Amino acid sequence: MFLTLPSILEKWPCQWSSGASGRRASPSFNAGEAVTALELLQRERECGSITTFSSQLDHALKGGLPVGKVTEICGAPGVGKTHLCLQLSVDIQIPRSFGGLEAQVIFMDTEGSFVLQRVVDIAAAVVRHFSLLAVDGEQKDTMQTFNMESILSNIFLVRCHDYVELQAELLLLPDFLRDKPRVRLLVIDSVAFPFRQHLDDLSQRTRLLQGLAQQVISMATRHNIAVVITNQMTTRLQDSQSHLVPALGEIWGHASTTRIILQWEGSQQVAAIVKSPCCIDTAIQYQITSEGFRDANQPEITLTNRR
Amino acid sequence: MVGLQEGMCPGLDGGLLRSLLAADVKTVEDLVSSDLEEVAQKCSVSYKALYAIRRVLLAQHTAFPVSGADLYDELLSSTAIISTGNPSLDKLLDSGLYTGEVTELSGGPGSGKSQVCFGVAVHVSHQLKQRVIYIDTTGGLTASRLLEMLQSETSDRDEQMEALQRIHVFRLFDAYSLRDRLSTLRSGGLLQASGGGSVKAVIVDSVSAVISPLLGGKQNEGMSLMIQAALALKTMAKDFGVAVLVTNHVTRGGRGEVQPGLGASWSHIPRSRILLERTDRAPSGCSSTLRSATLIKSSRQPCLIKEELDLQWWSRSERRSSGKRKRDEADS
Amino acid sequence: MNAGETCRSCRLRWEESRVSDYGVSHGACRVDVFAFLQLLARLEARRCLKDIEPRLFAEDEGPRHGDVEPWRDLYLCVSGKTELLYHLLCRCVLPEAAGGLEVDALFVDTDYSLDMLRLVSILDSRLSSAGLEEAALRSSLSRLLVVHCSSSSQLLLTLHYLETTLNSRPSLALLLIDSISAFYWLDRCEGGASISRQEEKLSKCAELLGRLLRDYKFTIFATCHTIRRSCSGLAASRSSTLEADRPYLCRPWQRLVTHRVLCSRQEAENHTAGGSREEKRQVFRVHCSSSSSRTKASRISSFCVTDAGVQFI
Repeated sequence: MFLTLPSILEKWPCQWSSGASGRRASPSFNAGEAVTALELLQRERECGSITTFSSQLDHALKGGLPVGKVTEICGAPGVGKTHLCLQLSVDIQIPRSFGGLEAQVIFMDTEGSFVLQRVVDIAAAVVRHFSLLAVDGEQKDTMQTFNMESILSNIFLVRCHDYVELQAELLLLPDFLRDKPRVRLLVIDSVAFPFRQHLDDLSQRTRLLQGLAQQVISMATRHNIAVVITNQMTTRLQDSQSHLVPALGEIWGHASTTRIILQWEGSQQVAAIVKSPCCIDTAIQYQITSEGFRDANQPEITLTNRR
Repeated sequence: MVGLQEGMCPGLDGGLLRSLLAADVKTVEDLVSSDLEEVAQKCSVSYKALYAIRRVLLAQHTAFPVSGADLYDELLSSTAIISTGNPSLDKLLDSGLYTGEVTELSGGPGSGKSQVCFGVAVHVSHQLKQRVIYIDTTGGLTASRLLEMLQSETSDRDEQMEALQRIHVFRLFDAYSLRDRLSTLRSGGLLQASGGGSVKAVIVDSVSAVISPLLGGKQNEGMSLMIQAALALKTMAKDFGVAVLVTNHVTRGGRGEVQPGLGASWSHIPRSRILLERTDRAPSGCSSTLRSATLIKSSRQPCLIKEELDLQWWSRSERRSSGKRKRDEADS
Repeated sequence: MNAGETCRSCRLRWEESRVSDYGVSHGACRVDVFAFLQLLARLEARRCLKDIEPRLFAEDEGPRHGDVEPWRDLYLCVSGKTELLYHLLCRCVLPEAAGGLEVDALFVDTDYSLDMLRLVSILDSRLSSAGLEEAALRSSLSRLLVVHCSSSSQLLLTLHYLETTLNSRPSLALLLIDSISAFYWLDRCEGGASISRQEEKLSKCAELLGRLLRDYKFTIFATCHTIRRSCSGLAASRSSTLEADRPYLCRPWQRLVTHRVLCSRQEAENHTAGGSREEKRQVFRVHCSSSSSRTKASRISSFCVTDAGVQFI
């Protein structure tokens, strides 16, 4: 493309550089167009949400984890972050006839915490649950195909060892999403580990994380996927008292639309929704069983009773 | 920068343009600030002709002074104060958002910035029946929450739908598209985007999310983008008489004090700044919708006045039930 | 011709001495007569703003014709700089009966930050304390000209056009630029790698202003934002204060500047929690230094901002 001098002079200098970023935009999403809030509402309703298998948490989140938004799950080691992620990875595959999304999931594992046996346990429990619920013919038909094998084959596992790999994978992800239109969930477990381990320069870390956040947000919106990111906790001294707060700094906290903190309170496990656009701050109790993420006041016995 | 072009003004024909370019006079600024006698000699044109061209070009491209009295009259007739719908916020802002000005909300994660933006959007579109442009850069805009707020205002479904239709949403996730969008809006797109209706409020939630990743390091381009976006917001506010509400994150200074993000250069942009903070210090599950709002910059109110702000104000009817639920939980 | 006297200590002293020489010898040199008369006419018409704010500038060091004042604020300043600018602007446009100088002023708004409502409320409170009415406000406002610029090119062209305004308004004695650094980042980005191209526009503006100052003898006040080179908000506060203090605009502009006023917020009294509104007032400290070759002088003063504008303490 040749331009005459005056027309070059009239251009904004940054227009040249922005051309590159414009080309990267997905064609499926017309960024230039305004949508009214009403259209947005309809889209949100079409997207639906992912059940967590804890009726209290679902209720607090107004139906489950929102699709098209970024959710952050924070918690100390062993409190059940990965378990919740695995539960969600199975839940997103619940067939349509049971009111599920019948979709696929990308699981980015940076800590090596993806343990297959746990997935198998959770999946078995979910399959058992729905085979008992199946009443009409259509539901019984779907149960033929909704089994362990199909569940495992719909989870795409990506193992990232450091933040460079993680960023590279995220850059390639839009292409992958185009090939696999059924993907409705992206799990990054966890974002804290690679960034806390290999990056000492704090301001660079903040900038990289902010870039990553914008990338993930735009992916969630453009491809209509739910993004779940897990984060570790860190202690912060404030008024000579130490508090347990989510890691990666305060600015990272703006990345997610919903933020859930999982923590122990005495002998109880509590999930606190500390940031959410659609519900007031609430805290609910939960427990981690061998079958997955469940309400605390619904012991396994009642589940077996129902069976 | 405006390049010289043939036919820009009478007398500037192709031949003259070529000889001007040859004499290294390429832009209007070059011509205006050059020594005309010298240029006239170089290009072998008459000084008089060149002087005439200079005068016309100058008149075309300069900004003209306006008398302060006229400006004031215009301001009096065009300025409107848009209530945010929340009495404590209105009190801080001296009765609301002023059109023609940029107001900033800053706060940490979960401090309620987006909720305030939702509330303002709903209030302007429903109560004031005006159009709102909402630029969402964090993916945080949740239409079902807007609907919830509307439901507490009116039970008429048609009214709710109409109000939602008056909110126009742009979802932009990088600084370039934000900059480009703002400049299109400024150069007339504001009227088109809203389908011809009058827009009274432009909300950007958040500015820092897209701009701050570009700051730091070499920072030239990021700063330039930030200033361009800021200038577009300010001129848009002035030229179209809209109230602009932006959100910003916070950083901690050396002594742990909270200050709005984006640095000193941005601090000149908003006319009023409000800092939102959680009132409860405990980070754990203590649920509260109360936030403290501190006015940290204003030309109308004494600074550092503080108000308690209830995020649930915009959906009051719900407040009673949720409050009750909380009490029930406490009892059990 | 006491205009020449008032400005005896101007930077351009030689020019004035020539004026007085010619004044005695009544057109001894024919060639220069016309230029001289014109110069004399200009000198006569424009008022010197020497006593614009005695509490701000060091004694006998008030800005004279041809002086430029840049301001910069340190810290996240709650418009202390802007308030000071409005204060000086009010002093100029207010009628003499209300303690003003009753001269015309041109406000070049590059930041789109002129808060007309605030300015009017300051003017209003000063006029009403002098017992003057609405009409006085209108006439004060009509002494103010405002021009908005949205790019450095437009600024340059507008300053060129200023010559016409200066010719048509002999009472125009003050030019305010808020702020001269508004397009700094845009120019830096636009200019690419070459520093001279980055600074080209502002240099041209500064050169032009230098010529206009010489020819028309008025006063310029310009504000200049602080930039933080180490950008992250976490930067150490004390060391960056010194860093931020350093002038960063192009050399031709620096050469033009004769007085430098630094405005900073006083840390004390700031965080008095609770109490009445009066206790929460913010105190600003201004440090005015003249960097001209004549004498080195500086003065430190403090002010606080009230509804009626700046009040020196």
